[in-house]
Amino acid sequence: MKTKNGLTKIVIAGEGGQGVQAVAEILAEAAYEEGRQALYIPNFGVEQRGGVSVAFLQIGDRSIGAPKFETADIVVALSGRALLRTRQYVGPQTTLIYDDLAEVKDEEMPRQAAQILSIPAVETSKKELHPRVFNVMILGAVIAATGVVTLDDAKKALEIRLGHKFEQDPKLRELNYRALERGVELLEQVMRGGKEHSGALRAYH
Amino acid sequence: MAGVPVPGDKRVFMTGNEVVAYAAVAARADIMYGYPITPQNEVMHYWTRLAPKYEKRFLQTEDELSAGFTTIGGVMAGRKAFTATAGPGNVLMQEPMAMAEMMRLPVVVVIMQRGGPSTATVIYSQQEVILTTFGGNGEGFRIVYSTATHQELYDYTIKAFNTAWRYRFPVFLLADGYQAKMREPLTIYDPLERGIELIAPEAYLGRPGTPGVDRPPGHFRNTYSTEEELYEVLQGHVREYERIWREVEEYESLGTEDTDLLIIAHGVVARAAKQAVEYLRGEGLKVGYFRPVTLRPMPVDALREAVSRTKRFMVVESAYGQLSKLVRDALYGLAVEMVPLYKPGVGVTPEEIMARSRELIVKGES
Repeated sequence: MKTKNGLTKIVIAGEGGQGVQAVAEILAEAAYEEGRQALYIPNFGVEQRGGVSVAFLQIGDRSIGAPKFETADIVVALSGRALLRTRQYVGPQTTLIYDDLAEVKDEEMPRQAAQILSIPAVETSKKELHPRVFNVMILGAVIAATGVVTLDDAKKALEIRLGHKFEQDPKLRELNYRALERGVELLEQVMRGGKEHSGALRAYH
Repeated sequence: MAGVPVPGDKRVFMTGNEVVAYAAVAARADIMYGYPITPQNEVMHYWTRLAPKYEKRFLQTEDELSAGFTTIGGVMAGRKAFTATAGPGNVLMQEPMAMAEMMRLPVVVVIMQRGGPSTATVIYSQQEVILTTFGGNGEGFRIVYSTATHQELYDYTIKAFNTAWRYRFPVFLLADGYQAKMREPLTIYDPLERGIELIAPEAYLGRPGTPGVDRPPGHFRNTYSTEEELYEVLQGHVREYERIWREVEEYESLGTEDTDLLIIAHGVVARAAKQAVEYLRGEGLKVGYFRPVTLRPMPVDALREAVSRTKRFMVVESAYGQLSKLVRDALYGLAVEMVPLYKPGVGVTPEEIMARSRELIVKGES
């Protein structure tokens, strides 16, 4: 997914502690390692915990202009509050991905989106994996949605960031890789589902 | 003395605060004095991490007044000294910086602008432009570089020390919370390996020899008894500042010959402005871009030249008319319409600049 300038703009938002900043950082790191241009900026305020955490990320082939933007290509919202906070970045070209446990009122859903996808990320990470790798699953989903970096490069970036922990416990590497791949699967499933149900899907229960 | 963190050129992906700390080491700065305030905290953090490895020092003071005065002390002792601050800290910093101006001391201050007035936000703004260029009870005898990219943060941090020690005026590196906290690629290098001369510091106090016998005595004063005495000293400052003006001023411009609209911006907003202008020019619109890199001294001649070739100009900034004040002062006497795009305390996107520009150009043609 690229805009006409070959630039992909991503917003990832969640509750403090869900690890959205780490997702954006790893993606930026992976793109940078591929020799592409990347610009990542977190929102930061006076609150250290609690509240919604938002990451802005741009990946492209030319040097990147302003650090923030009006409309994203992908918005990932991992809670109801995160969606309310980030729906301003959803335009007619935007793919919105949100967690299906996020409580969002029907009238609050940004219907202008090109595509709205809900994935059972929180639930899957709890049931199948471990809540600690929830954000790595999200990383997988974003990669599947955007193709901004390859899965291999994401693994390399994970290695750079968590290599020292993987050394101590090789099972951790396996868990992270599985989470990454599961995230890809979740998104691919819902995208396939999307075509069958034509357009906005599973968005409003 | 110990060298630099990275010999040779190295491509890195860092936050702006980290870039400043690495650049200060590369510039062979000796000591940082500071007091924590968001969004510049990590300049201190990274400096304190690097400092012990390269035989450098750090002193945390009790507030920004003290950080500024201890930086002055470091400079008078002949050390390349610097500090970093933001927002309300920048307000307190003006008292010592006015003293540095009076005494012609080469202090280096890094500013990461945040929202104002008062505590406001810890995030971002361009609302410290007037404060940084003309803060303090004085005439603004200082040099202010406004950076836009991480590469510039690195290059101009190194340059700031040279400019300070060459001209003996306080030098400010004016960035903002976005630049402080965002990550983007840049190349870091050892300036000496690139053949960039690093001007050596000199002690003001404690020089060898007997004052008045072996050398002239040092009179480093910030107090004068008579108006005439102060006036004479200030005339010297004025002459010196005006002499170096053209040597120090810097700007960047794009397509400023014969335009329907000229967009003027500085710092991180200039990135959005430049992107917008490149885009609009691609559509065949006659739009130009002018960015003062030094906000003090303002590149007056180049700015007047660019403005005299346009039908109207738009000043875009994350403040309510601070850059615009400096620009209009420089343009006195030129009859060209100005249009503001002021967004105090929030970022500006290329999209809004493009939208406003299109409106203006359509209006202009009708």
